[in-house]
Amino acid sequence: MNSQKHLLIIDDDPDFVAGIRSILESANYLVDVAYNPKDGFEALQSKPYDMLLLDIMMGRGAEGVMVARKMRKDPKLRELPVLIITGIREQIAFLFPGGPVHPRFVEVDELVEKPVEPKLLLERVSALLQSAQAKKASPA
Amino acid sequence: MATRPKILIIDDEAVVADSCSEILGDGNHEVAAASDGAQGLRMAQDFHPDLVFVDLKMPGMSGFAVLEKLREIDPTIVAIVITGFATVNSAVDSMKQGAFDFLPKPFTPDELRLITRRGLEKRSLVLETMALRREKETLREHFAAIVSHELKSPLNAVQQNLFALGAELAGRLTDDQRSRLERCSARVNDLMKLIHTWLRVMSTDLDKVRENFVPTAVSTWIAKAVEVVQPEATRKEVDIHTDLQTPLARIQGDEGTLVEALVNILGNAVKYSRVGKAVLVCARQEGDQIVVSVADKGVGIAKEDLPRIFEDFYRGKSGEAPQPGSGLGLAITRRIVEVHDGSISAESELGQGSTFVIRLPALSQAQAETDPLSLPQMGGMR
Repeated sequence: MNSQKHLLIIDDDPDFVAGIRSILESANYLVDVAYNPKDGFEALQSKPYDMLLLDIMMGRGAEGVMVARKMRKDPKLRELPVLIITGIREQIAFLFPGGPVHPRFVEVDELVEKPVEPKLLLERVSALLQSAQAKKASPA
Repeated sequence: MATRPKILIIDDEAVVADSCSEILGDGNHEVAAASDGAQGLRMAQDFHPDLVFVDLKMPGMSGFAVLEKLREIDPTIVAIVITGFATVNSAVDSMKQGAFDFLPKPFTPDELRLITRRGLEKRSLVLETMALRREKETLREHFAAIVSHELKSPLNAVQQNLFALGAELAGRLTDDQRSRLERCSARVNDLMKLIHTWLRVMSTDLDKVRENFVPTAVSTWIAKAVEVVQPEATRKEVDIHTDLQTPLARIQGDEGTLVEALVNILGNAVKYSRVGKAVLVCARQEGDQIVVSVADKGVGIAKEDLPRIFEDFYRGKSGEAPQPGSGLGLAITRRIVEVHDGSISAESELGQGSTFVIRLPALSQAQAETDPLSLPQMGGMR
């Protein structure tokens, strides 16, 4: 239970990543980073992670959404909790007009806006990890 | 017209069609000919001509009818009328049907080449205008998305690192250092808000708001706006009094943007009020207009500033202490009011306060009742 949790960040902005990575590492998480969706998806398939922190607006558009869609089709990755970190809520509304602000890409996901305050980030990460664990412990 | 321009000739006289094809078929144009209106229209759909010559007097479908159908097929096609009875009347009539020009029979090859060149130039202009208009629309629509990414991403990165540094250096910074870090963070935050406001102005097509117009109660509109501003008013110990005439006719409008407009006015009234003073919101009917006024006893606006306060990015220079703001609030407000076919004006005396007046057309009882949107059996969502 107390083993160090392993997180993956997929985000194409190295400076932004530095700003959340240091917060997560100082809270004793083990953090890997992929700076594009392709490397990110390969990393997800190569190693078991406890959680993914996913940027939406990458590359030519909403490439983060493609990562989430591929994850949903993958029986192993479907269970992985995802924290979506995105620029602004309006972007989500723009991508899914009329849809809920919170997209529900995978079983366990949550959305926070960039920039995210350290306290909020750590709360969300730990809450998501817990709810994923609870889901695993008592499969519906 | 990246490829050779396409020209379609619709004329029942084989001699005319043939000679036109010969004159224009010089390798620079792609030419097709039809011998009657119906065939011509069928060809227009597959051939996608840039320019069409139509004989006015043909057996079967008349040239006028062909012109009308052509416009339905593609309004950007340039049509030139060939007419054997070159009276002013038939020329005027065909121009009214959307023809670009007319060519009286008989004509010389040079006359045909000249009018063809002019017609194709017109076609280029039409296509270019359309492309530009489309580009402008797309740009506006995507502006919000592009700018939020390109402009906000660096700011997000800066802010995120300021947050991280603040957390990592907690306990190691002096009070002064911590306060400077916090101020950096606050300034970045202000900048992000400012970008958001600008985007709101530039990317919103207010004309689209008209599509959401429904009969709207003035009292609800005002109550919602007051509710938004109330917390700030309470902080400043400013009382907001409302004085509404009853009954009041409804107005035709979009409640969301109307509230936004009034919040801007009320927000300013509170912002520029002196602590403990009141803001008065009045609504009454004057003839066929609903008049809503917001009066404050604040710092006021200088005479030289008054005519310009509704302009984009204009900020008064003569007020007492400068207040933070984007200089866009009143400009947005004016646009919203104007989309509602209303007007907004301001009066002010420096040091005494300001009064803003919004005038909107009142819905007559009959209009409110005959408006399909106000009928419960049609509305569904009321």
